Amino acid sequence: MTALVALVPVLPLLAAFAPLAGLRARGLGLAIAATGVGALACAIAVAVDVGRHGAYEAFAGFLYVDALSTFFTITIALVVTLAGVGSIAYLRTEERRHELDLLQVRLYTIFFALFAGLMLASLETGNLGLLWVLIEASTLASAVLVGLEAKARSLEAAWKYIIISSFGVTMALVATLFLYYAATPLVLLSPNQRLTWPALFAHAHLLEHDSLRLAFLLAVIGYGTKVGLAPMHTWLPDAHSEAPSPASAMLSAALLNTGMYAIIRFQAIALPELGRYTNRVLLVFGFASILIGALFMVRRGNFKRLFAYSSVEHMGIISVALGFGGVLGVYGALLHTLNHAIGKCVLFLTSGELVQRWRTRETREVSGALTAAPLVGGVLLLGSLAIVGSPPFGLFLSEFTIIRAGFRGSSLLAFLLLALLVIAFIAFMRGTAGMATGEQHPVDDETTASVSAASAIPLVAGLAALLLLGLWIPSGLNDLILHSIGAIR
Amino acid sequence: MTRLVAQIESLSAASSSGVLLDLSAVVMLLCAFACLGSKLFDRYVTYYAIQSIVLAFAAAVVGHALGQPDLWVLAVATLLIKGIAIPLATRRFLLDRLELHRDVAISTGLSTSLILGAALTTFAFLAIRPATLPHALVASAVVPISTAIILLGGLCMVVRRHTIAQLIGWLILENGVFLGAITLTATFPFIVEAGVFLDLVAAVLIMITFVSGLANRLATASAPELRGLRD
Repeated sequence: MTALVALVPVLPLLAAFAPLAGLRARGLGLAIAATGVGALACAIAVAVDVGRHGAYEAFAGFLYVDALSTFFTITIALVVTLAGVGSIAYLRTEERRHELDLLQVRLYTIFFALFAGLMLASLETGNLGLLWVLIEASTLASAVLVGLEAKARSLEAAWKYIIISSFGVTMALVATLFLYYAATPLVLLSPNQRLTWPALFAHAHLLEHDSLRLAFLLAVIGYGTKVGLAPMHTWLPDAHSEAPSPASAMLSAALLNTGMYAIIRFQAIALPELGRYTNRVLLVFGFASILIGALFMVRRGNFKRLFAYSSVEHMGIISVALGFGGVLGVYGALLHTLNHAIGKCVLFLTSGELVQRWRTRETREVSGALTAAPLVGGVLLLGSLAIVGSPPFGLFLSEFTIIRAGFRGSSLLAFLLLALLVIAFIAFMRGTAGMATGEQHPVDDETTASVSAASAIPLVAGLAALLLLGLWIPSGLNDLILHSIGAIR
Repeated sequence: MTRLVAQIESLSAASSSGVLLDLSAVVMLLCAFACLGSKLFDRYVTYYAIQSIVLAFAAAVVGHALGQPDLWVLAVATLLIKGIAIPLATRRFLLDRLELHRDVAISTGLSTSLILGAALTTFAFLAIRPATLPHALVASAVVPISTAIILLGGLCMVVRRHTIAQLIGWLILENGVFLGAITLTATFPFIVEAGVFLDLVAAVLIMITFVSGLANRLATASAPELRGLRD
């Protein structure tokens, strides 16, 4: 079992050694994708085992996998797989056009692998200190990806990203220290156990009140910077728009969720002692994010920024769902995490196709995608419909669940959420519908060539998965989410 | 475990280790203020180096008082990496190569930043009273001071717009966190502290690469020029 659990992060890390084999863009892309598939398979195997035998712990809690971690591991591994397959097409095109030299392609592979592996590893540790270390390390790896194209703009975005998230994550370190300090009354535990999630969770009601409150607030602010909760979201649109598109997909669909995972863990520890206070904090940050996300989506401009603000909005929705709380709220939050991850991954990969064809990131310079490239345009349109939460896609179901959870508590907040979702819907569709429809802009002769298999597979597979999740939740997934809720209550 | 608690309590009283720890914390706070009140890049780095060396000393004091060998390791690592390697690297790869001397990209005047810094320090002392800390485990002044250093580092990052000044601001903030860590949670698992340290080193390496990359792209890396991405 230890080997299987360890394989999940180790497999993607192996791709970091692929450049040593002297592979070029195509081979390197294939290596990333293949290790992603392997990680996904292992993650599912681990989930099945955890579902049968319960949480698995080894090395004094440094390795700890329960249902919640397996749920997030599967989500992230899925994103890594989709983005990995997308990387094949991205790297080949950029190499053919000499936009990236061989060194940059190799750096991309190494840091993509590190990014993926460290994120998956962070989900499999029960030690909150190690969780911090791994999340910070994955941030650093992703910052290199953001600055990879080494233009002034991408370096600037990377700088902004690294300095803001380092600041934020340092706050999360302070939170971890205060949590450790809050555990001082637990004199029977060893110092190591006082930092280990299962032990802390089991004794949550004994934690020292003031330190715990400080720890929780700082954790929401610190990890919230990673999640992109407003007002700590300012790095997010820049980093997402300047990163290579598969890396944007990883940032939006995987990195943000890793931050949210950390917040969920902290909330579970803080809940018995602080009670409704934790929910109120998450509601405030959640609504602020939805508001900021929806308002900035109204601006037309760079479409990758549009998608990025949509991520801010969706992270806000997840945070609000956690704030509503209860089984229904958490269920909605987790389901929404999975749906949003797939949907945003598809959209960012589509944006990569658009950028490579039109060579622009401006919304108004792209039009007629449906006629120019029916597959890309179609996925753009359907993916946008999915991400704004229209039926029959999965996000409709999860947003519906969240709103239902809201009505159980305060219907005022539920109505507010509904109103904001409508604004977001209009703002987002106004941007992307214009890109998909309309007159076809003159584009380069070479770029109108049909979509390669490597870029088509993740788009179609992701969209199909979203459709499936909108119509039917597999019983295995249902059990997994229910077990995850069980693990944190 | 009870032995350890007793040892930690020995730090809180007016024992010589407690006094030394308090003294180091005050010197570190002064370094943060000195950095805030300076305009020369060279000085920023010097003050950061002094602060790190004092931090290493503080870690050694706590390690000695509690008989924790891993804190000694941490002290040596702090001295070598934060006190010597990072300042040297910053000087060689950034200041000398980019020929940076005076920081002109400061959004508030020096006196204003100092007053803001004083206000933040007061706030830190008001917010983190020893009473909020249960069991009075630590030298009482250290935790508010480390909070103040964290806030001052953050202030440096906010009022300075030059990338190197922001980098130093973050490093000062990190020093504040470490000072808090060695006193508040002296028994923190070593493997985690080592990981935190590794992350710091990696972060500094990447940041230095970015700053020099940015400086190559733009004539100067000062943030008024970083206006490409705005909303």
